[in-house]
Amino acid sequence: MIEFRNVHKSFGGRPVLQGIDLEAKAGEVLFIIGTSGVGKSVTIKHLIGLLRVDAGEIWFDDKRIDKLSEREMYPIRKRIGMVFQHSTLFDSLTLAENVALPLRKHKRMRQRDALAEARTRLATVGLGDYSDRFPAELGDGMRKRAAIARTLTLDPDVALFDEPTTGLDPVSARRIDALIRELSDRRGMTSIVVSHDITSIFSIADRIAFIYSGRVHAFGTPDDIRSSADPVVEQFITGRPEGPMETPGF
Amino acid sequence: MRLSRPISALGRGSLVIAREVGGIAILTAQVARALVPPAMDGRELVRNLYRMGNLSVPIVVLTAFFVGGIMVIQSGVFVERFGATGLVGWGAGYAIFREVGPVLIALMFSGRVGSNNTAELGTMTVTEQLDGLRALAIDPIRYLIVPRVVAMTVALLALTIIGNLVALVGGALFSQLLLDLPPALFYYSLVDNLRPEDLIHGLIKAVVFGLAIALTSCHFGVTVRGGAVGVGRAVNAAVVAAAVSIMVLDFFVTYLVK
Amino acid sequence: MSVVSRIQALGRSALALARGSRDLAALFLSTLRGVARGRRRPGETVAQMYEIGNRSFLFVAVTLGAIGMVMVYQTALQLERITGDLSLVGPEFLSLLVQDFGPTITALMLATRVGAGIAAEVGSMKVTEQIDALRMSGVSPVDYLIVPRLVASLVMTFALAIFGTAIAYGAGGITAYVSYDLNPRMYFDVSQVTLADVGLGAVKTATYGLAIPVISGFCGLRARGSSEGVGRATTEAVIGSSLAVIILNFVISGLGIYGLGLVEP
Repeated sequence: MIEFRNVHKSFGGRPVLQGIDLEAKAGEVLFIIGTSGVGKSVTIKHLIGLLRVDAGEIWFDDKRIDKLSEREMYPIRKRIGMVFQHSTLFDSLTLAENVALPLRKHKRMRQRDALAEARTRLATVGLGDYSDRFPAELGDGMRKRAAIARTLTLDPDVALFDEPTTGLDPVSARRIDALIRELSDRRGMTSIVVSHDITSIFSIADRIAFIYSGRVHAFGTPDDIRSSADPVVEQFITGRPEGPMETPGF
Repeated sequence: MRLSRPISALGRGSLVIAREVGGIAILTAQVARALVPPAMDGRELVRNLYRMGNLSVPIVVLTAFFVGGIMVIQSGVFVERFGATGLVGWGAGYAIFREVGPVLIALMFSGRVGSNNTAELGTMTVTEQLDGLRALAIDPIRYLIVPRVVAMTVALLALTIIGNLVALVGGALFSQLLLDLPPALFYYSLVDNLRPEDLIHGLIKAVVFGLAIALTSCHFGVTVRGGAVGVGRAVNAAVVAAAVSIMVLDFFVTYLVK
Repeated sequence: MSVVSRIQALGRSALALARGSRDLAALFLSTLRGVARGRRRPGETVAQMYEIGNRSFLFVAVTLGAIGMVMVYQTALQLERITGDLSLVGPEFLSLLVQDFGPTITALMLATRVGAGIAAEVGSMKVTEQIDALRMSGVSPVDYLIVPRLVASLVMTFALAIFGTAIAYGAGGITAYVSYDLNPRMYFDVSQVTLADVGLGAVKTATYGLAIPVISGFCGLRARGSSEGVGRATTEAVIGSSLAVIILNFVISGLGIYGLGLVEP
């Protein structure tokens, strides 16, 4: 359904992605894991055209999308939603208005109907009572759930999650995990999750891509990864400070 | 200092200015394209008209009132010297409508609304809210920028009309207080001599200044880099660019529109 | 909104205004005290003079040049219609520039550039807790940040006001010659300028030079939050400084021309 073919990307002469090959099947929960700064978020931002590849191809539903213009990307973005690491809810709108915005824009709903629909959507992520609050008044976990509700309003086929559990307490983190798993199981939604949260990785992933030095270093089911003999993979999942892994910045 | 240093500094400065002017030109083209056919978010337009227009009324009224007073104080010197009491109303009105009103109100508007706009868009940019919009398949130009440009232009036009009137009231009041000139005399001097062109000349300026402030402030907002420090620097750059645009465009409009 | 809550809101904002004015006055006094004590950080003062002065020269030249051309053009347009006599345009324009427009418009320009610059810099230091760090190490932020900016601003506002007046006058002369064929010798006649004009202009320049850094520093020191706090402080500084220039001009002009008879009418 989604395929990256030999994707390269550098920033200011510093290569970040150096030939990413990756493929996600419809309905699965695919995790992209790796250390901070390795280019996990960069990888998924290419899928919705927020970043442009230097070289390589990206395919979505048998259509090549890496060369599409900003305008041609809009239909793709309605089918591939993204939940950003810092939620990116709009400060000037309440939670309900935030969620109503895509409904108003893309489903041509009137403001009143869109707000009513938004409240129902917020209730499904447990935020029914907070619909009229502004994002700044809420905690990180609530903001993240509201952002998920907003992304899901267009009923996308694919959702990208950028570190959905980072910075959350363990209980909120597991709730988000359960939500992602459920979306895949019940609605057949494909999820691509960027994470370095070992607990979520091994509890909800169907498959895992481990990115290291600009490439997909290991790819497989959680069991494959867990039992991997590769010393770098082994060091990452056990979290040992000493080992063969090169971590830029240390 | 070696000679090459100021020259290379000048070159660097020109490059920076050229890049910003180019950025503003691109933004202008994008906004123009989004306006045919006019497609923008109505709610955003109304929200921005309210906070950019209505909420600026006090500062504009305050500025205009004192400006009207200053015009009369200054014309007092000429009145005493040449005994031209019959020309005070017209002199103040002419200066206010064509020049002082549009320019000073635009400067205050840039300080309040333009810099606020840069700060707000800048904060949205550094917190990735613009990418958030694009990810929802919503065009930031149509949703965020176009309503602001339209709102700022309309608001400044309306505020200039209000400000002109307040400045005249202030002028009439201070003519009575300082020059013992009855308001009626001030009024007739104004309406007998002032031509509609003088008023229109000033209103054309208000529209041009409104567009300039809107486009510069949006441009510096959406190109912010680097957190809180970056936002402060962008606001600073935006108000300076707006002030230069106002003065330079004032010159061109004065020459081109008779 | 009910009448009572409107009155309450009005009262609240009046109180906030009073408190703000009191704090602003206190900052002004402690800055003056800092200047008097002579803790001037010469290096920082020179750096600020460069930042406030040298880096504003082009800005002031462009804006004052443009306004000089416009003012002469507009005035001559009217005079030609009414009297046809343009002989007084130059001398009268110079006298008006020296005692009012030169210092005031230069100061309005500096209110945007310098005011926003000081507020953005001090505000960024405030929200990144550098101001608290200064206090912790026993350094007064007023002496350390505001005093050098005040001294630098006072000196450079004078320099720029003189420069701006000259540019506006010159650009006006060129316009009069090009557009109305006015003899430059008739335009560049400085005999109308009195000592009183110069004195009034100097008083205004000094007042603006003191007001802008104190108001902007005040807004910067009040910044709260993060990037939106710095943005708000910068906006407040521009508006506060510009409004201060306009109101101070009104008061000093009124007092100078009518109250003290400084400029004989």
